[in-house]
Amino acid sequence: MSSPLKSLFRGAALLPGETGRFAMLLSGGILLLAVLPILTMIVMSFSGASNLDFPPASYSLQWYKAAWNTFVSPDASDVLSLGQALTTSLLVATLSMLFATLVAVPAAYALVRCEFRGKAAALQLMSLPLVFPMVVLGLALLLIFDSLPFQLNTSRLVIAHVILALPFVVKNCTAAMLSIGSEVEEAAQMLGASPLRAIVDVVVPLMRSGILAGMLLAFIISFNEFTVTYFLYNIDVMTVPIWMYSRTVSSLDPTVFSFAVLIVLIDFALIWALEKLVGEGGVSF
Amino acid sequence: MAHSTLTRQVGVAPLRPAKTFSPTARAWLFLSPAMLFLGVLIAASLLVLRMSVGTKGAEWSGFSLASYAQLLEPYYLKSLLLTLRLALVSALIAVLLAIPVGYCMSRLQSPLLRRVFLAAVLLPLLVNLLLQSYGWLVILGPGGMLNQALIGLGLIDRPVMLLYNQTGVLMGLVQTAFPLAVLPIASAMRGVSRSYEEAAATLGASRLQVFRQVVLPMSLPGIITGATLVFAYNASSFVVPLLLGGRRVPMLAVMVHDQIAPLMNWPAASAAGVVLIVTTLAIMTFSEFVTGRRRRILEASQ
Repeated sequence: MSSPLKSLFRGAALLPGETGRFAMLLSGGILLLAVLPILTMIVMSFSGASNLDFPPASYSLQWYKAAWNTFVSPDASDVLSLGQALTTSLLVATLSMLFATLVAVPAAYALVRCEFRGKAAALQLMSLPLVFPMVVLGLALLLIFDSLPFQLNTSRLVIAHVILALPFVVKNCTAAMLSIGSEVEEAAQMLGASPLRAIVDVVVPLMRSGILAGMLLAFIISFNEFTVTYFLYNIDVMTVPIWMYSRTVSSLDPTVFSFAVLIVLIDFALIWALEKLVGEGGVSF
Repeated sequence: MAHSTLTRQVGVAPLRPAKTFSPTARAWLFLSPAMLFLGVLIAASLLVLRMSVGTKGAEWSGFSLASYAQLLEPYYLKSLLLTLRLALVSALIAVLLAIPVGYCMSRLQSPLLRRVFLAAVLLPLLVNLLLQSYGWLVILGPGGMLNQALIGLGLIDRPVMLLYNQTGVLMGLVQTAFPLAVLPIASAMRGVSRSYEEAAATLGASRLQVFRQVVLPMSLPGIITGATLVFAYNASSFVVPLLLGGRRVPMLAVMVHDQIAPLMNWPAASAAGVVLIVTTLAIMTFSEFVTGRRRRILEASQ
């Protein structure tokens, strides 16, 4: 049967394993609900009114203007300016991304290539941060860092974020590693490369897409992390989410929505890049 | 034939001197940087365990079970039960909603639609929970979207209170943990080959029957994993009850923080934290047990 004819019939009779229109509509609706809070926030940021009624009575860019003013001329009442918080956030996210990747690549190699005693335990341990209660992690890290004789500021946030991002990065690197046969490495060694060089020059470049996906994920996770950071921050070191929370702790200030839209846009761009990078279905969680 | 002899020769030739490392040592050497960070996590949880049996004022030297006894007081017990109930209900709702979405995601043909679906699933997981809670504040508020819609539909006469009670918190919990249910379910359903569906349809099963009797049972491990993840994630949820529940919905994680920030009661906070860890580990072990058994049965039947 020719393909135009086939597509003509598709609406009438579905082959088994194809999603019907009803299932598609249902899932589309559910997904819309899942992103509804984010969409609402975007609409609200264009509100011309000063209350939180939805839909807004009028639309304007006043909150963006206010937000811009906060950015260029910080209030004296703020403990820390948004610029400083943004710098900290980007610094912490970049460092967490680099460290998480650096430790995850060799770990993924060992988990895929080697058969060793304690492998099951190592695998379990790698996914532990995924289910470990974040509040307890924050509490525990606070206990550790406060009992240290020296003070860590930015680095304690980095350590926390690396722990949180590690399962995601390891998972992506492992998935990339699984698709590489051990024969490429053997070939490299036969041609005279040392085992280490075979890994660095042959295996790691082949893992590239998985590593990049892991890096992006680590960056997004660190950039958006709130709970653990909330336990660990202090007056000098604040990330953007904490800064926003400290502004809204007494009353919700709509300028926050315009910052939020900015953050969501950054996140969306990163997620889209992530999907593009690894192809559909390639990201592993 | 020539190929096979060639490979055999080269494979046999010893290229390197005998390895000095045992494979186990080599593997752990590769794992050590990651283990350094995970070691911090382990050490931290042990510290919390130690702290939970300390006494206020002498956290490191004292020993008492007073903090655990305190958790049995009605107020704390109620908070524990509330936490477990909300986590359970949210896990059930999230899984029910995730099943059709997961099925669609696993069967979508168009690459663009797949990317859009995946992005829509990932956004609630990755975007800052704080921002999503602000969105919920707008939706659930007295003049908010949901109340307006309900009034517009004629279901209610005046705005109902949705914020700062369990309803609002439950909605927030379901929405923020929803991706954790979808992802394992979608990947489990992707693993159910279409040929099974075709076979069932050939044998005369209706579409609904195919779904209920073939796809659903075969992807049950993924469904259980999803439910467990949502439960574990929500049992320790902090931001959602903090912002949407105020002080009216004292979930355990919020209590942990309250014990530190205004009260400076480290042992009490740690004891509540230990309860959280134990709950999470217990539910994860249980799910591992159930899915493991299920997988063995599936493998044996194939």
